[in-house]
Parts: sequence; C-alpha cells; structure tokens
Amino acid sequence: MHVVIGEDEALLRHGLQLVLEDGGFTVVAAAATAVELEKAVEIHRPNLVITDIRMPPTHTDEGLLAALRIRRQYPETAVVVLSQHMQRRYASELLSSPNGRVGYLLKQRIADIESFLADLLVVAAGGTALDPDIVALMMARAKLSDGAVRALTPRQHQVLALMAEGRSNSRIAAELFLSGKAVVQHTSRIYDALNLPLDSNSHRRVLAVMRYLSES
Amino acid sequence: MAALEASLLPLSGPFGHILILFPLVFLVYLGAGALAWYRRPSNRMGALILWGGFAVFVGGLPNTDIPILAAAGQIGATLVLAVIVHLLHAFPSGRLRGRVSMLSVATAYVTSLLLQAPGYLFSPGGSAPDLFIGENPSLVAAGGTVQKLAGAAVMLTTAVVLVGRLVRADNQRRRVLVPLFAYGAAVMLFIPFSGQILKVLGHPSAEVQTWLQLLAIGGIPVAFTWGMLVGGFAKTGELQELGSWLGATGAERPALTRALARVLGDPSVQISFWVPRREVFVTEDGSVAENQIGDSNRASVHVELDGRVIGAISYDSSLISTPEPVREAGKVLALAMDRERLTAELRRSHTDLQRSRERLVDAADQERRRIALDLHDGLQMHLVLLALDAQKLANTLGGSAPDAGAPQRATTLRKGIDSAAADLRSLVHAVMPAALIERGLAAAAEDLVDRMPVPTTLELGIGARACSPAVESTAYFVLAEAMTNVIKHAHATSVRISLHLVEDWLRMEIHDDGGGGARLSGATGLRGVMDRVDVLGGQASLVSRLGEGTHIVVELPCM
Repeated sequence: MHVVIGEDEALLRHGLQLVLEDGGFTVVAAAATAVELEKAVEIHRPNLVITDIRMPPTHTDEGLLAALRIRRQYPETAVVVLSQHMQRRYASELLSSPNGRVGYLLKQRIADIESFLADLLVVAAGGTALDPDIVALMMARAKLSDGAVRALTPRQHQVLALMAEGRSNSRIAAELFLSGKAVVQHTSRIYDALNLPLDSNSHRRVLAVMRYLSES
Repeated sequence: MAALEASLLPLSGPFGHILILFPLVFLVYLGAGALAWYRRPSNRMGALILWGGFAVFVGGLPNTDIPILAAAGQIGATLVLAVIVHLLHAFPSGRLRGRVSMLSVATAYVTSLLLQAPGYLFSPGGSAPDLFIGENPSLVAAGGTVQKLAGAAVMLTTAVVLVGRLVRADNQRRRVLVPLFAYGAAVMLFIPFSGQILKVLGHPSAEVQTWLQLLAIGGIPVAFTWGMLVGGFAKTGELQELGSWLGATGAERPALTRALARVLGDPSVQISFWVPRREVFVTEDGSVAENQIGDSNRASVHVELDGRVIGAISYDSSLISTPEPVREAGKVLALAMDRERLTAELRRSHTDLQRSRERLVDAADQERRRIALDLHDGLQMHLVLLALDAQKLANTLGGSAPDAGAPQRATTLRKGIDSAAADLRSLVHAVMPAALIERGLAAAAEDLVDRMPVPTTLELGIGARACSPAVESTAYFVLAEAMTNVIKHAHATSVRISLHLVEDWLRMEIHDDGGGGARLSGATGLRGVMDRVDVLGGQASLVSRLGEGTHIVVELPCM
C-alpha cells in the first residue's frame, strides 16, 4: 500500500512514517506543504494520502482543501485528514466527496497505533472513518433537538456512534463484546427509530447517519 | 436730510436753540441706526432705529413754514412714541415676537397716527391749517380721550410684556435689559405727560419741556445701540466670512462653534453632530447634546448634507428671530460639520478608550497568569507523574525478571499522555480556537454553537473571513464569553445568535431566555472582551433585566 504524507512538523512527519512503515505501508513521499503534497500525489498516485489540515504557507486550512481536491481528481486515492480539533463543517465537506475513501481523525489517534492503522485500511478499502470526538459532538447536538435520538437506549447510542464512525458490524461486535446477531438487531432497531434506509455499504451508512444527525 | 431740515426750520427765530435739536437728534438716530445695522447685518434693530430717526424728522416738520411739510409733520407728530414702543417690543432681534407684542405695536401706531387725526382735522388751532376741515370740539375731545385711553392700554401691555421678558431672561441678559427697558418706558411715559411732570417740578416753560422731550428721544437710539453692543452681541460677519474661515487651515483655526456664533451674533449658539449608530446628537466635546425643547428661548435647525441629517444648530430664538440665517449658515457649514462630526464621535470615545486600553492590558496580564497557572498546576503535574510512571516501567523492564504486566502498564502510560495532550489541546483551543485560525469567525461561531449544551440557533449572514482577523476574533471572544455565561449562570433553555454585515459593520446579536441579571461590572470576562470592542471602535450593549434573559448586541467596524 503506497502512502503520501502531508505534515509540516518534521518530528511528527518522521514519527508517522515510522508507524506506517512498521505497519506494512510503503511511504512513497512525505511533504511539508500542501503544494508539495499535491505534487507528490500527482507523481506517485498513492493508494492513500494522510495530511494535516494546517500547513504552510498560510497555516489555515490548505491541507483540508488539498485533500478535497485530491479526492476529486484521483478517485482511487483515499484521504485521511488529521486535525488538532474536530469540526462538523470539515466532516461534512469530507463526506461530500464521492464514494467515501475519506477519514477525519484527531491527530492524537496516531498514538493508538493498532486502531489507527485499522482505520487507515478501512478508508483505503473504500470505507469511511470518523473520529469518535466528532461523532460524539454530533450525537450530543442531535440529542438536544431530536426526540428520536433521545429515545434510543444507551446501547443503541453506542452502536449508532460506532456506525457513524464508519465501523463495520463485525468491528462494532468486537468493540462492544456483542454477537454479530445482536449488532444486526441493534442496527435494524436504530434504522426503524430514525427512519433510515437500510444499506450495507459502509460509506453510505456513515453518510446516512451523519446526514440524519446533522439535520436533526 | 438733517441739513435740509435745519435749513427749513426757523433757527434764527426765538426758538432756534430748541429747533436745532430736531436735526441733531435725527443725526443721532441715523448714526446709531447705521452702527447697529453694520454690526448686525441680519438683525432688524438697525433698520428700526433708522425708522425712529424718520419719525423724529417728521416730528420736527410742523415747525417749518412750508405748508405741506407742516401738514405731514402734524400727521406724524406722535409717531416717535409708537416707534419707541416698537423698539421696546422688538429688542433684541428687531422682530416682533408673540401676538401680544404685535397687537401692542399695531395699536401704538394706530393711536399715534389715526387717533391723532381729530386734533388737526377738527381743531382750528393746529399748526397745519391745510388739514383743517371744520370745527368740532366734541370730536376733538373724544379723539383725545380715546387716544389717551389707547395709549395707556399700550403702555400697560408693554410694561407687562417687558416685565415678563425680564423675568425669563438670564442674569447676563438682564443686566442689559433692565436699564434699557427702564429708560424706554420712562421716555414713553415722560413725553405725553411731560407737561404735568414738569409742572410738579415747577418748570412750566414750554421751551424747557420741548428741550427735555427731544433730549429724552435722542437718548433712545443711543440706549438701544448700547444695549446691542454690550449685550454680548459682538459684531457679526457675513456668510462669506464663514466660508473663508472654513478655507483656513492649521492650528489657529477657531472652533466651529465660535465661528458660527460670530457670524450669527449669538454667543449661545451650539453645534451638535448626529451620530447615526447611536441615534443621538453629540456636542463638539463629545458629550450627548441636551434636549432643549423645554426652553422657549431655544430653537434649533437641522443641518443636512446630501439629504441626510448630519447635525443641528441650536440658537437663542429671542436673539435670532427666524431660522433662515441659521439654516443658511448651516448649509455653508455642512461639509465642515460632517468632518467635525467624526472628530466629535472620536472624542466621545476617547476617554472610554483610554480606560478600556488600561483594562485590556490588565486583562492580558491576567490571562497570561491564568494560562501559566493552568499549565503549571495541571499539565506540568500531569507530565511529572507520567514521567515517574515511565521511569518505573523502565526499571521493571531492565530488571532480571521480565514483568508480564509491562505491556498493560505501557498502554496506561500512553493513555495518560493522550489525556495530557487533550488538556493541552483544550487550553490552546481556549486561547485561540483552531476554527478561528483556519476558517475565521463564521466557522468558529458554528463550532462554538455545535458544542453548546443548550439548544442554540445560529443565523449566519457573513461569509468566510468577512472582516479583519482582529475584528473577527474580538466578535468570537465576545460570543465565547457570552456562551460561557449562558452555561454557567443563565439557566437558559434556548439561545439565539445572529451574525450579519450591515453597511460594513459586523453586527452580532446574542439573546438567551435565561434569568437575566448579567452585568458588565459583574461578569469580568465579558467586561474584558467588551474592552476589545471599544478599542476597535465598536459598540456593545448588554440588556439583562431579571427574568427577561440577556441580550447582547455588538457592532464592530468591519475592515
């Protein structure tokens, strides 16, 4: 699996490279600016791009904008955006890129290497990965205004959150120590309660849940 | 004309030394009237004094030998009395104010001109025999009686009006009005009754009587001109003068008000400037202009530029009887006033600004202290403990017997570091949130609202990076502080926030339905952020009545 990294902090760039290479990824380029990043992607056509949001020259959101452009220009290249802080707006911008293959994670998740690498693989395989932080934010927001979300059981809340994070049913089962059958039961009850269309595609499932949470 | 009259009068006759007074008094009127007119071009007193001169001139004509002039003199013999009444009522503007004054003066003229008629029409003894129609003593007597009664009525009302004006006048004005009115009234009484008065004093000579009468009449223009000149009515200039003053530049330029006061001849003139954002008039020094509607002697006109009100000129309506000259001056001033208006607005906020700057420096120091404390007590302790854990873990790993629990402890250590990093992140976020840096106010406000534990709506009428970073971050910190207060104190069930651009101003409104009672002095955090609003030239208002929620409106010039 070929990866291009976009990160302006040299230490973190190297750290990330080590983590990835230890996990069996091939880092083909590591860029320090958004411009370099897009150039590297053009040259290497990697399977996956991992980039920070804030990068030189303006240190605002050029990493995110580059990620969105890459997603549009290279449909086969998956993108994972790392950030210090989760924002609903960024999540929806990323989710609006076609066919998934996006991830939006807090930078600190890198430290939980196993989980981080698993998320990267999900995204590279066409799935979606959203940080628990942003999902928690969306859930809290939805609970304030939406009776249907409030009416869910605590267990269903957990399942809904993991669905929004982009977890497959088997991963949800493993994480919550449930049987696969139990997870299916929970998800179908959630679908009924929130009136969501049933969908086995992981990205479309995330989209549906996130859209629901956004609009509630 | 004086010379003409002098040549016509029989000065070489036995009464020559008295008759010479007529042209002399006439000259006094001419001189005083001209001086008054020159000093105050827009004031009618000068013209009125000249009119008085004419009355004196006419009064002297019966003494000539030319029948037609003598007849004219006979008709206007007591005209000068009416003019004195007119002068008294018209001082200081030269125009009559009020119905009572107008009626009194009209009656005075009727009394002196019409009611005088029976005296020469029906009495053969008059000095103008040409006017004699036929003898009718009863008509003469009746005319005389009516004239006396009407005259007495005019004097009485005049006295009442003048006393009323004295009572209403301020002290400075009164110092002029009292001697002037007293003298005018005395002359008015002395002339018709001089015969009787002099009889009492034992000088029944007609010679002396006429002499004294003319002397008293001659004092009138002097008195009125004196009254105008010492009554704080400096020489006034023309509008051109105002124009050339506006052209002058540099530090010597007198203040706008002084120039205007000079031109209008009203030292009490006050200029105020309209501040549309606050919807008030402020004076030159920046204080809010008082509403003087209650004062009957104050009037004001609006000054407009391109159809919009930019200020007002308030003036003494007893001094300047019509708004026209003021309005004209206002037109000349409009452009300069618009410029001065900005200065006045600036001065208004200068003191506030100084204070808020000081508080801002204070607040910055306090903020630094708080951050230092947070870092020291929280994060540093946390890191020390994590370092200890790491060392203990290292010790066990270096020992001879490998510890089976080591991986578990390493993970715990990693989670500890994660949580320290999260602490650091939230600290950094509070100091300068990522959304504000990355996307500006709109995104940051949205992010803030997303995290509100109370249902909060945000109405966004601004695009990304609508204003300068300083303005955007100031608005953001006001919002953040307000949200903190809502969470901590308000017990609100809903919050409404709107952000709009209104004519290059960023307008932010924050309403909650909580308990209210928030005060800037109480909420020091809010005070601190409001100071930033001040420093940027913005305005903020906080309305928070008990039980009626808290309503904050902040406006910042969006550059």
